[in-house]
Amino acid sequence: MVIFLKHVKFRVNGDEKELDASPTRSLLDVLREDLFLTGTKRGCDGGECGACTVIMNGKAVNSCLVIATELDGSEITTIEGLAQEGKDVHLLQQAFVEKGAVQCGFCTPGMIMTAKAFLDLNPNPTEEEVRNALSGNLCRCTGYTKIVEAVLTGAEEIRRLKH
Amino acid sequence: MTVTLEKETCTTVGKRVPRIDALEKVTGRAIYLDDLKFSDVLYGKILRSPHAHAKIRKIDTSKAKQVPGVVAVVTGRDAPFRGGEAIRDQPFLAIDKVRHVGEAVAAVAAERKDIAARAIKLIEVEYEPLPAVLDVMDAIKPNAPLIHEELHTYPHMAIVTVSPHTNICAKFEFKQGDIEKGFRESDFVFEDTFRFPTGHHCQIEPFGAVVQVSLTGKITIWVANDAPHRLRKDLSDAMGIPFNKLRIISPPYMGGGFGGKGGLKVEPACIALAMHTGGRPVKIILDRQEVFMASLTKHAAVGIVKTGVKKDGTILATHAKLYYDTGAYAEKGPTVTVHGCESGVGPYKVPNTLVEGYTVYTNHPVAGALRGYGLPQSSWAHESMIDMIADKLGIDQIEMRLKNAVEEGSINPTRGDILTSVGMKECIQRAADAIEWNKPRPPNRGVGIACEYKATKTPSGSSAFVKIEQDGTVSVITSAVEVGQGIKTILAQIASEELGIPMERIAVTSPDTDYTPWDASTTASRATFHMGNAVRNAAKDAKTQIFALAAKAFEVNTDDLEISNGIVQVKNGSKKMGLSEVMKGKWKAGLTILGRGTYYPEIEGTMFSARSIFYMYGAQAVDLEVDRHTGKIKVHKVAAAHDVGRAINPTAVEGQIEGGVIMGLGTGIFEEVLYDEKGKMMNPNFRDYRIPTAVDAPKIDSIIVEAFHDEGPFGAKGIGEMTLVSTPTAVGNAIYKATGVRLKELPATPERLLRHIKQKQNHGTSE
Repeated sequence: MVIFLKHVKFRVNGDEKELDASPTRSLLDVLREDLFLTGTKRGCDGGECGACTVIMNGKAVNSCLVIATELDGSEITTIEGLAQEGKDVHLLQQAFVEKGAVQCGFCTPGMIMTAKAFLDLNPNPTEEEVRNALSGNLCRCTGYTKIVEAVLTGAEEIRRLKH
Repeated sequence: MTVTLEKETCTTVGKRVPRIDALEKVTGRAIYLDDLKFSDVLYGKILRSPHAHAKIRKIDTSKAKQVPGVVAVVTGRDAPFRGGEAIRDQPFLAIDKVRHVGEAVAAVAAERKDIAARAIKLIEVEYEPLPAVLDVMDAIKPNAPLIHEELHTYPHMAIVTVSPHTNICAKFEFKQGDIEKGFRESDFVFEDTFRFPTGHHCQIEPFGAVVQVSLTGKITIWVANDAPHRLRKDLSDAMGIPFNKLRIISPPYMGGGFGGKGGLKVEPACIALAMHTGGRPVKIILDRQEVFMASLTKHAAVGIVKTGVKKDGTILATHAKLYYDTGAYAEKGPTVTVHGCESGVGPYKVPNTLVEGYTVYTNHPVAGALRGYGLPQSSWAHESMIDMIADKLGIDQIEMRLKNAVEEGSINPTRGDILTSVGMKECIQRAADAIEWNKPRPPNRGVGIACEYKATKTPSGSSAFVKIEQDGTVSVITSAVEVGQGIKTILAQIASEELGIPMERIAVTSPDTDYTPWDASTTASRATFHMGNAVRNAAKDAKTQIFALAAKAFEVNTDDLEISNGIVQVKNGSKKMGLSEVMKGKWKAGLTILGRGTYYPEIEGTMFSARSIFYMYGAQAVDLEVDRHTGKIKVHKVAAAHDVGRAINPTAVEGQIEGGVIMGLGTGIFEEVLYDEKGKMMNPNFRDYRIPTAVDAPKIDSIIVEAFHDEGPFGAKGIGEMTLVSTPTAVGNAIYKATGVRLKELPATPERLLRHIKQKQNHGTSE
């Protein structure tokens, strides 16, 4: 089998990356295996669990479904790059800590990235909107109660900071 | 009571302390198994059986071995070992026979994953299919095909009684009073049969392992296993090698366990490969389909309950027969059956009881521990029955339960021991209040309740070290596994409380069997109680050593000393010194204080054979609405009240309750592993085996009841296992109130519910 590689340039967490991408590999493979950004988790490799969610060009995507050759010119943010300049953690991450929204933690990075992309579009959501936004991210530990609370609290903190 | 005093004086215990691992986890820096990197690693892939039951005639691996990049190809004959916690019945890789679709038959280790995946397809296996046994009640028939012909030859746990030349790999009986007399004296006797579906854990982190076999024969395994020391023992038993030639290292974190990540899962195939790679490590991570088909499921079960009552609702006798479909290998099935049976008549003062439990082989994938350990199945039978009886007698369901519920000093209806630390009635009452039980509700809406009590595995032991470093910081060294429940935080709180040293100066290690002492397992909701006690004892030991040093330095008696906020001081405040100074005062060139602690309950017997050292109690009420046209259920609210003895960290307890309830709603309403007529799993993915999402999750009232336990650390018992036991049954009971349909099988999918609603409309009965 001959595989045609494509040279791609893209940015991850602000840093320029270049590689010869194979169409048999996903963005998730690239992040975890080539760039050693293991904060993005592999749960199902089929776009069903949301654990591998990252932000690509402003939208939350399942990185396991993005083919590596599609990366050229894209802007990727992973959980490792979420904290703003000079801060250790993003307000959303802080809210997850404070609200007890973390248990095993395996879904947490994907959950936070989905929430971040969602709040960028809808900074003042209702609880129902938050639940809908998170419905592609599975969590088996928390029952979602404290995660939803954390996203609502995080949203409030982000709004407060902007004013 | 001393525990009451302790509650008043605690500074860290009982507080909503943030988890000590939360920051690592929200920043993506927490390390899980697949995040570890190994030099010169090989990737393993497993070839699995397409048959539910077949003889293996021949395996030809020659083509796979020729693929460039393939380093090792192994079959059962290359690692002829059998493992299994309760019964040693499971080969590392199939030998002569396969017993379920998905069973490991051969494995390949290669330089790259894609090479391994390609190579397993070149392994040629010749099978001779055998008749498969795919229903638990068929499997116990006298003429059923035998799944394990050699059952009588397998070594097994002391409490297991096998039935040779049958598919019943274990049977148990719990008996109190005189069951026949109980039925004779009853005004009414009810009997019914209830079926419970196969479920799956669906941990979001897949299973995996990395194994390295050194040239000296030492086997090192990196694996997220919920019981590293038990794994070492099981492998030692299976392979006949000493403990110190086996080293199990837990990655810092596990991405969810729920009872599934114990025993031998990926480890055997990975060990078999690593024995043939000249010292190179081998890594296997299962894909999602393999996790579904070849890790572990929750037992499907059939429960037959016969209950005798007086007109006033007093229960006189209960006879329960429970049949657990344990699949192709026993795994933890026998002890799952023990706990299911022990709670088999419910938390009620029933004077005459008989519970018979059967752990039954079938050609389904292996079933084992899943949060609740046999109780969701037994609860579905006896708690549905309680509601049916209350309905027939015209007694309110809450009243019926309160009338019969155990209380402080009651006799355990199945084992006969005296129950202490019993918060049962308070749980029932508070769940009922929170759900507004008596509030009138519109048509098609109903509330249901179910309650339960649960044992922990007893006796079992835990050990811990508390290491005081030269700078006054502390390492708590244990083999308790952080599966997500928050045990690292709980143990830090307990150490902090006992030592008088602030939380931020306390670190908690992850297990490494070469260095961290014995712990039976992080299962059975036992860690807070058992390891909590061990850590507390180790902290006391460390404190004694600190006081010995400080007493000399201050020239006072050790009794005059205390530690507060990390400062050692004379109680009247006259002299004080930092912990670090106390240590440096004696050992100028540096030394460590090592506190040692163990906990082993003073109860005779082998594991699982004895009365439980503590019992957990809980009641859950569900308020739901049924759409009569679609059969769809909308859950409005769940009120869950749980007696945990003492909540070391209320936020963590709430988290356990919320998580368990949502998992329980999944079990009750839409989760079911489906098999085709040949025993192949039909829905091994998250699309077709749907688990609850944020949209499905209703409001949950988590109610913490605290019936302090005399022997628990600061009065604590446990929580994790209990949190989903009652949910599916409460759903069933609420459906009855909403629609008049009495379900006797789960899950309550729209199709199933609609069918029953229509039947009821047409015939006036849902059966």
